[in-house]
Formats: sequence, C-alpha cells, structure tokens
Amino acid sequence: MATTSMIAVNRFGYGAKPNELILVAQSPKEWLIKQLSQSPPVAFNYSLPSSSDIFIQLHAYRKNKKVAKKIAQELAGKDFDKQMSMEGVVTKKARNPAHKLLNQLSSDAIDQAIRSDHSLNWRLLDFFSNHFSVSASGPVMTAIAPTLEREAIAPNLLGNFEDLLLSVCQHPAMLIYLNNERSFGTNSQINKNGRGKKKVGLNENLAREILELHTLGVNGGYQQQDVTALAKGITGWSVARIGRDEGSGFLYRANGHEPGSLTLLGKSYKKSRKNAKQGEMMLRDLANHPATARHISFKLAYHFISEQPPESLINKMVKRWLATKGNIREVMITLINAEESWHADSQKFKTPREFVISSLRSIGDNKKLNLRQLMKSLSALGQKPFSAGSPAGFSDSGNDWNGGSAIMARINWSAALSSKLSFKHTVNVETIMSNSFGKNISELSYNTILRAESKEQAMTLLLMSPEFQRR
Amino acid sequence: MQRRQFIKSMAATLVLFKTPNAVAKALSASSPKSGNKKIIWVVLRGAMDSLHTLVPTFDTELSVLRPKLLASIKDDLLMLDNGFALHPSLSNLHQWYKKGELLPITAVSSGYAKRSHFDGQDYLESGLANIDHDTGWLGRAVNMKDKQALAIANSTPISLRSSEASTWYPSQLKEADEDVYQALMKMYQNDELLINRLEDGLAVKEMADTMVGDRTLNIKKKGQFIELSKSCANLMMGNNGVDCAMLELGGWDTHNNQATRLSRQLKALDQGLKALKDGLKDQWKDTVVVVATEFGRTVKENGTGGTDHGTASAMFIAGGSVNGGKVLGDWPGLKNNQLFEQRDLMPTSNTFSWLATVLSQQWSLSDNQLKAVFPQVDKRTVKLFLG
Repeated sequence: MATTSMIAVNRFGYGAKPNELILVAQSPKEWLIKQLSQSPPVAFNYSLPSSSDIFIQLHAYRKNKKVAKKIAQELAGKDFDKQMSMEGVVTKKARNPAHKLLNQLSSDAIDQAIRSDHSLNWRLLDFFSNHFSVSASGPVMTAIAPTLEREAIAPNLLGNFEDLLLSVCQHPAMLIYLNNERSFGTNSQINKNGRGKKKVGLNENLAREILELHTLGVNGGYQQQDVTALAKGITGWSVARIGRDEGSGFLYRANGHEPGSLTLLGKSYKKSRKNAKQGEMMLRDLANHPATARHISFKLAYHFISEQPPESLINKMVKRWLATKGNIREVMITLINAEESWHADSQKFKTPREFVISSLRSIGDNKKLNLRQLMKSLSALGQKPFSAGSPAGFSDSGNDWNGGSAIMARINWSAALSSKLSFKHTVNVETIMSNSFGKNISELSYNTILRAESKEQAMTLLLMSPEFQRR
Repeated sequence: MQRRQFIKSMAATLVLFKTPNAVAKALSASSPKSGNKKIIWVVLRGAMDSLHTLVPTFDTELSVLRPKLLASIKDDLLMLDNGFALHPSLSNLHQWYKKGELLPITAVSSGYAKRSHFDGQDYLESGLANIDHDTGWLGRAVNMKDKQALAIANSTPISLRSSEASTWYPSQLKEADEDVYQALMKMYQNDELLINRLEDGLAVKEMADTMVGDRTLNIKKKGQFIELSKSCANLMMGNNGVDCAMLELGGWDTHNNQATRLSRQLKALDQGLKALKDGLKDQWKDTVVVVATEFGRTVKENGTGGTDHGTASAMFIAGGSVNGGKVLGDWPGLKNNQLFEQRDLMPTSNTFSWLATVLSQQWSLSDNQLKAVFPQVDKRTVKLFLG
C-alpha cells in the first residue's frame, strides 16, 4: 500500500531520484502541480540539430553522394564492376547522418528525463509524443522523427490542445510520415497546369489518423465523407524542399489546395486558397469537440492512473477540458486533484521506457549507460524510440509489455545494469531501496532483496520487484 | 545443478503454488505428439493490398483503375487458374499452388468496414461482433481442444488471449544467472500475474534453448520474419512441440511507393512461409498455415503511387494436406457499381467463415464449439483438406 508521496513520484512521475521521496513528502500534490508551471515545461539540449538543420544536412549528403557517384564513374571508366567498387570507396566519405541523428536526439530526451526534477512534465511529453506517434522509417523519417516532440510538442505541452494539434500537423515530421506533403486536390491549380501529364492526387492518410487517433477517436462519430473532407481541407500542407523552395519546414502550397468550401461533421468551412486557414479552422474545431475531450481525457487517465479509469474521473476531466478550451495544464491539475487518482494499489505495469528511466533515476547516476547503450536497452526491451511502426504509437496496456518473453528480457537487462554498478563498488542497495520505496515495500520483497547472494543480484531483484515494476 | 534439472525442479515447486499450467505442460514428459494437427496463424498488419498480391488479370477495369501499379508487375506475374495470378515475389507460394498445397481466397473480409487498422486488427483477432481485447478466436479454440499455443511475440497478441499461450521472441540480451530466477520465483509468490509470466518465460526459454539452437545470429537478423519463422518451426517440432503458433508481419500500409514496398514485403512473406515448411519437415503434412490481414485497400491507386484503406482483401490457406491448387471465393468485379462504397473491393465471403472451416476440419471443433469461437458465422461446406 503506497503513501501519497510514493504515488506522486511513481504514478505521475518517472520514479524517485535519490532523496526525492523525502522532498515530496511535505506536499505531494503541490509538488506535482508546481511542475506544471515550469517554464519551459521540459528542456532539451538545444545545441543538437533542429529539423531545419537536418534537412540541410540530408540535402548535402544526397548531393555529396551524387558527386561521389560521378567521380567513381569517371575514375572507373566503362568497367561496371570496377565502377561499383570505386563507388563504394568514394561514397563512404559521404556518410548518411540519419541514424546518428536519431540516436542523438532520442537519447537526449531520455537523458533529460532521467536527470529532471520535473519528471511529471517528461511523462506528459512522452505521452503526447506517443499520442502523435511518428516512426523512424526511411532515411528522412529516421532523421526527423525525433524532432517532432522537441519542436511541436514541447512548446505546446501545457497550453491549449488546439495549438498542440495544429503545431504537430504542420510539422514536417508528421506531414511526411503520414504522406500529406504530396497530397493535392484533384481540382487544384497544380493539376490544371499539369498539361494532363502527371496528375497528382489526394492522400487521406493524415486526415484519417487525425480523426481516428489524434482527436475524436475511432468511435467519435465521423464517416468516410468526413475523412475525405478533412483530407481536402489540408491539401497543400506540405514541406519546403531545400534548394527548390524558399525557406524550410512547413510550406503551404496554395496551388495544390483543393478549391471550394467543405463540410466536416455537418459544419461548412468556406474556401481559402491563399492560406492554410480552411484546414486550420477544421483542426481547431476538432480539438474542441466533446468527443476529442473525452478521447484524450480517457487516454490520459488510462495512462497515468488505471486501465479501468472511473467514469467519474473522466467526466471531471472532460468538463475541465470544455471549460478551458482544452487547456492541458488545467486538465492535468484536475487529474491530480481528483481523489480517484490516488488509490493505494499500483495498477499500471511500467512500459520498457518507464522502467529504464525509473531504474536509472533510482541509481541517481545517468552515466552508467552511455547514450548508445540506452538506445540498445530500449530496443532489447521492445520499445526503441520512434519504432512503434504505426501512427497509433506504442501500446499503453500492461498486457502488451508483461508477456513471459518480455519479463525475461527485463530480468536480463536488470542483471546487466546491476553488474555494471557492483563492478565499481558504489552501490548501496539498502540506500537505493529506501530512496525508491521509502517504507512502501512488502516484507517479502524486502527480505528477498536483502538476502540475495551478492550486491549485484540484490540490485537485480530490486529492479524486478513487483513494487518497482508497477506504478 | 544442471540447467534442465534446475528448471524442472523449479517447475515442480510451482505446481505447489498453483494449478499446473504452461510450465508443467511444456515440461511434462508427455508422449511424442506425432500426428498432431497443427495450426499456424499469420497476421499481416497494415492491410495487405490483395489486388497487387492475388491479381485478377482477367478484369479489364484493373489497368484503368491502377495503371502504374499494374504496369510494375504485369510482365512477371505468376499465373494461377481462371486468370488469377500471384505477385512475382511469391515464387514459393506459386510452387505450392502447383503442387496443390495452397488455396488463395479472393475478396474476403472479417465484416469490419470502418477502415481503422487498429480496430480492424483487433476485430480480426478477437473474432467477436464487439471487439474484446481479453479473448481471441484462436485462444478460445485452443482452450476448447486443450491445445498448447505459442506466440512469436513479446506479449500475447489478442488472437491468443484467454488461452494460456506462451510467448517467445529472440532476446538481444545476455542471460541472467539462474539463481536470480529462483529468487524471483520466491519474490513473486504472492503476485499471480508476475509469477505466471515468469513461469511462462522460463518454460519457453527451456524449450528454445534446446530447440532453436543457433544463437550465433546477429540481433538484426534475429527479428526478421524468415528467422522468426525458422524458430517458430523449431519450437513446433519434437515431443514438447506446441500445436499452434502465431506469427506477425507488419509493413503493409502502402499509402505510397507501393510497387517497391510490396515487392519487398511479399518476398519476406514468401521466404518466411518457405522457412516454416522446411523447418516442419514431415510435420508439414499435418500443418495448416492461414495468412490473413485486417482489410484490403482502395481499388484505385492514389496520388502518391500507393493505395488507401479499403475493405475486402485476400487470404491464404496452405499446408501439406491442403486440398489446394485452386482459387476460392467469388470475384465481385471492379466496375464502379460493383465496388463497396464505390471505392473498395466488395467482400464476397467472410474471413471468419474460412477460419471456422479450418478449425472444424483440422481440430474437429463441433458446431457448438464453433459458435463460441465465431458467434457470427457458420463454417463452410468446402473440403479444405485431402483424404
């Protein structure tokens, strides 16, 4: 049975850093709510490249590769085999930056979360990063997938949901991931100018996922005609191509926008060719729709509190959502203040990401694993960042993470981490236990851990204890 | 203590804690399970485009609706009967078809018509009119016939839920010392969920250690469909082999660049299925493999060289005793008025009715049992197996 400070730190945050439990004990709720006033809510290492920097790097890489290919051809003459091998030698110099960027950027988020004093905000960032899931597939997405949370989600994390939604749907990572950057109206100017040669068309992928996953939810009462209308509304929402368009990032291609007024969920949206207004109005209305309020309130409660969140709790959150125009900070305060959120038994099983971050927080030293090892850890535990492979993101249900094979992987990972710790003789299991649980640990777990045959094994058992696996 | 003895003794202790389950079953010295009818369920996640896989070359609308997509494969199609053809990447399935070991079925749908991948997959796996995430059709069948099932996954997929299916997935990590497991068994004695999962993990680890063998594969390779299929076949062989397994292959959501992507995907599928057959050796004659996807894709190609979410798709039934070598299912046609909502291939038969037929003929489920597995459909009269 957990105390309020234990709940605050684990259910809402990423687990206790050394001495954090004591700090929180005075006023757990206030400790949480205060984090929601933090500005900025989360801080990244912003010396790492932005999506604009990345587009330039990728462009340079492609250019270098072309040049290298040409040189190889000239050097090798007509001999095809020789050409191929020369090409290998020369293009090695033009190294694809994508994987390094993915590792740097996504491990930065984990590193920050491990060290943060505001781990509630990091939990919330990870929640929305998964709500707006993008996957690192293909060279462009591999490099820019991790920029979505840094550039579109973090700045809007505690604001109104409509701004968050709009910012995400106009970010290159989302536009490219769900194929909207080349979705154009069949009656748009581009098609009329095309001399009938190469027709471009509508792609409804992003529109469908906005309705199904990002806003209303699958049972939110929309039809195929609404998907098509929204898809038309956001035609021309595209991404600037380096060297061909001016600037970088989101680009509204007016000549690719489907002309005419559109009807979404029974409401008419008048045409706007000059700017992205038509689609923007649609998204703002979707963000404030009662079905969206319910869908996301449910997901939040499901994520933070319980996989069977009480209806009364959802109702409180929905009410607050609708009263504050979907203000995420206010909805979170409602969640924190609700008595339904503080049941003593831990009902949620940690995801691999939560498990890894809370493990490293408990040790109070984030240098035990280098950033590459962090990424490998998550990959081995089945939750490599930006690899959900579907716009629905990773599952938030314990049953998807606690299968036999997954438990075995956790044990092995815990043992590997523990062996690193005891090697340096710096680990005091009793201290870590008291820092992580306070008095919230069963006698059975306590005794099994203390009676382990080595420090290393004790640490493994601590991390694998039922109390540490759930929150 | 030897590893095997250790795990066995541990399993014996477990039985004291609770009713015998997967561990006891997996480790009991049961008699060889020769002649045991096996089912392998393969789910293609992301909505496979059937018109690009099981191609109706006879339908003149096809080249009008998807000129570019058809042109990309037209010259290399592998012909079946009645004008149907397989995608060029499916050379192994084509061999099976010629040998009578493959039944492609056209224009099938689970009855789910809302075009959400995630709901569509849950519906296909659950098998009920209202999606239930806690019970799957295969899990219910496994329970009724007291079969032993295995999912090649980190956690039990919906298809196998409500049964005591084991899970196995190749690990990228060095294994912990065995005394850690023993201490955890003790620590979890009051935690039903964790002790269950740990027992399950240990039992499958034991099976995998003895049967999968080759641990020299590198990590990247380990997760590939062909490697998973090989391991799956190995885990199904031998005395303690399971009766039923589930594999998953994602990557079918081809909204763009479909020609290239499906060539790669279908090749992976084809090679993986071949690995299953090769690995199962003489058990292939007792095995049926069923391949299905959540729904199909639009009949028209879209503006980005791909297709969007649709309705009917295709499925495959294969195996050593399958009465194959013909394409099943009625062809609905591709004319505008023949389409579902004027955009998708119209379903002419229900996926669940085929699955029910497989369960009835492979595992002898009674009509009453089938009603509990698939309350919405009846089995079909077609004979899916020889003999």
